[in-house]
Amino acid sequence: MKFRDSIASARATLRYGKMRSVLTMLGIVIGIASVIVLMSIGKSAQDLIINQVQGLGSNLIIVVPGGSGNGRFQSPAQAQGIVVQSLTQQDITNLSRDPSIAAVAAEIHGQATASYGDNSEVVTYSGVTANFFDVMHTYTVQKGYPFTNADVQAYNHVVVLGASLAQTLFGNADPIGRTMYLKGQAFRVVGVLTPKGTGMFGINEDNLAIIPVSVAQKQILGVNYFSDFVIEANPTYTISFAQSRVEKILEQDHGITNPAQDDFTIETQQDVLNILGSITSVLTLFLTAIASISLLVGGIGIMNIMLVSVIERTREIGLRKAVGATNGDILQQFLIESVLVTVMGGIIGIAFGALVVTAVYFGVRAFSSLAWTFAFPPSAVVIAVVVSSVTGIVFGIYPARQAARKSPIDALRYE
Amino acid sequence: MIDVRDLAKDYIDDGGVTSALRGISFAIDKGDFVSIIGPSGSGKSTLLQILSFLDRPTGGSYTFLGKSIDDMTDAELAHVRNKEMGFVFQAFNLLSRLTVYENVEIPLIYSDVPIGGRKKLIEDAVAAVGLAEKLYVEAGKLSGGQKQRIAIARALVNDPGVVFADEPTGNLDSTSGAQVMEILDDLNRRGRTVILVTHETYTAEFANRIIALRDGQIERDSPVKSPRRSKDQFFK
Repeated sequence: MKFRDSIASARATLRYGKMRSVLTMLGIVIGIASVIVLMSIGKSAQDLIINQVQGLGSNLIIVVPGGSGNGRFQSPAQAQGIVVQSLTQQDITNLSRDPSIAAVAAEIHGQATASYGDNSEVVTYSGVTANFFDVMHTYTVQKGYPFTNADVQAYNHVVVLGASLAQTLFGNADPIGRTMYLKGQAFRVVGVLTPKGTGMFGINEDNLAIIPVSVAQKQILGVNYFSDFVIEANPTYTISFAQSRVEKILEQDHGITNPAQDDFTIETQQDVLNILGSITSVLTLFLTAIASISLLVGGIGIMNIMLVSVIERTREIGLRKAVGATNGDILQQFLIESVLVTVMGGIIGIAFGALVVTAVYFGVRAFSSLAWTFAFPPSAVVIAVVVSSVTGIVFGIYPARQAARKSPIDALRYE
Repeated sequence: MIDVRDLAKDYIDDGGVTSALRGISFAIDKGDFVSIIGPSGSGKSTLLQILSFLDRPTGGSYTFLGKSIDDMTDAELAHVRNKEMGFVFQAFNLLSRLTVYENVEIPLIYSDVPIGGRKKLIEDAVAAVGLAEKLYVEAGKLSGGQKQRIAIARALVNDPGVVFADEPTGNLDSTSGAQVMEILDDLNRRGRTVILVTHETYTAEFANRIIALRDGQIERDSPVKSPRRSKDQFFK
């Protein structure tokens, strides 16, 4: 039997039972569309996160307190809610002396109620060194000015507000020069940040207040340590060299001889990208695996329908064998029918998935400030076509074998 | 063309061995028209199935065109069925969802006839049974007599040497039955071997030889002195 004859026969059968064919296909359409949509959205989310991290600057080294055992997938102590006080002013002084390091910005974080008049909001505040605004390129002051080192040294109660916090507290009024309260202490607003939008994992990065680190440490929190350092490497040195220097200096400062016992964790942008890439890849894989369950269900539906079809067409099988069809011919005919159903379902699923992905793209763009990108990975299309064909073969082979094994006499007698 | 010697067919079931055929011996030459008759359960359908390669005997020998069935694989049997044998069934066995053209094409699908060379063969076969105008009609929309004539066209399309007809008039009214028998008679006159299974004596007498079976054995194997030759004689 020629392949073209098998295709023609399969098409005739599918055409004859249109409704049945469509319903059988539906399982595959949904399965393939789900896989396409989740792979595409996963890719868009990954791109979004990676773009945001890359926006921080590739020459930055982040130091957080607490060791990570040098294991790449163990979270530092801070991420587990453990307060480690290992990062100090002495560290900043020593790090700043090293030629491979251009600048060391330090931060300490806390939560407090910010208020102005009748308006109030619980916010995360950051106490930062004045060079923070130079080092962190993503924090730009849109209105007013960032506070200076003199403000930090003098314990001046000045604050730079995130865009949405400024809106919450002051509405349409100009906040610059006005006095607001943070944890009951008066602060003069000196600047408002450029809106950043929703950041990674849905955190609103505009709902924050930035104050001098000296005020945060001594007058609000009453501590000497820092939550993290953001270190800018000297561009004449490689980032990995600067990273090794930071590690060496901090180990010396902290009297650590065994690197496995480091009480700090160093992360470069690449480390963060790698970790985030792993997380999003695993998430995408996980979601795709869930979507694949619908493909499995669709495949079982195809097997079911094909088995019914084999029984219904028993006499046809008998006739075809009587006039010369071999077992292989019958196997091929039924297998091509099931593959045709799944491949057609796959193609419709890809088209449907593309529609959904496009709708999500425009929806996210219209209703959120996320820098969502349109991602429709070609690999998803290839995977969808391959998976739908394989589904047709896997779930079609059993019914096709049942058909091929029928004795022509019994088949012709079947009523 | 066909030579069977001491042919037997036993079925093994829960009750033991059932003998459907035993000690069957005869030869059929090219161009013969043979009717196999017998009452229900006499083994005539089983014999036809073996002669047409749809089943294998459990004893004896069967040689078709000089080759023993025992020496042939299932795929080879399928090939011989396709090239050398045509089938006409009592129940027509047309695929009602397909057109006449597509039904008659089925044996060609399993042969080595190229796709481009099929149309003329199909048109000729359908014209030979007088239904050229029905070529693109769905088989399900034909009358019983028309269906059987299309089934004959399907049996002829590969130009087989022998046509097996199993109760071809069993589901037809007498007029349609007569038309079908006339076509089979015509086929035989043009040189094809026709082997007919029937329980109707008057249908059997279209053949020039009748093999009568009873209880799985040949009861009688005799020539027909004056075979019926036209549809007018069909009604007598």
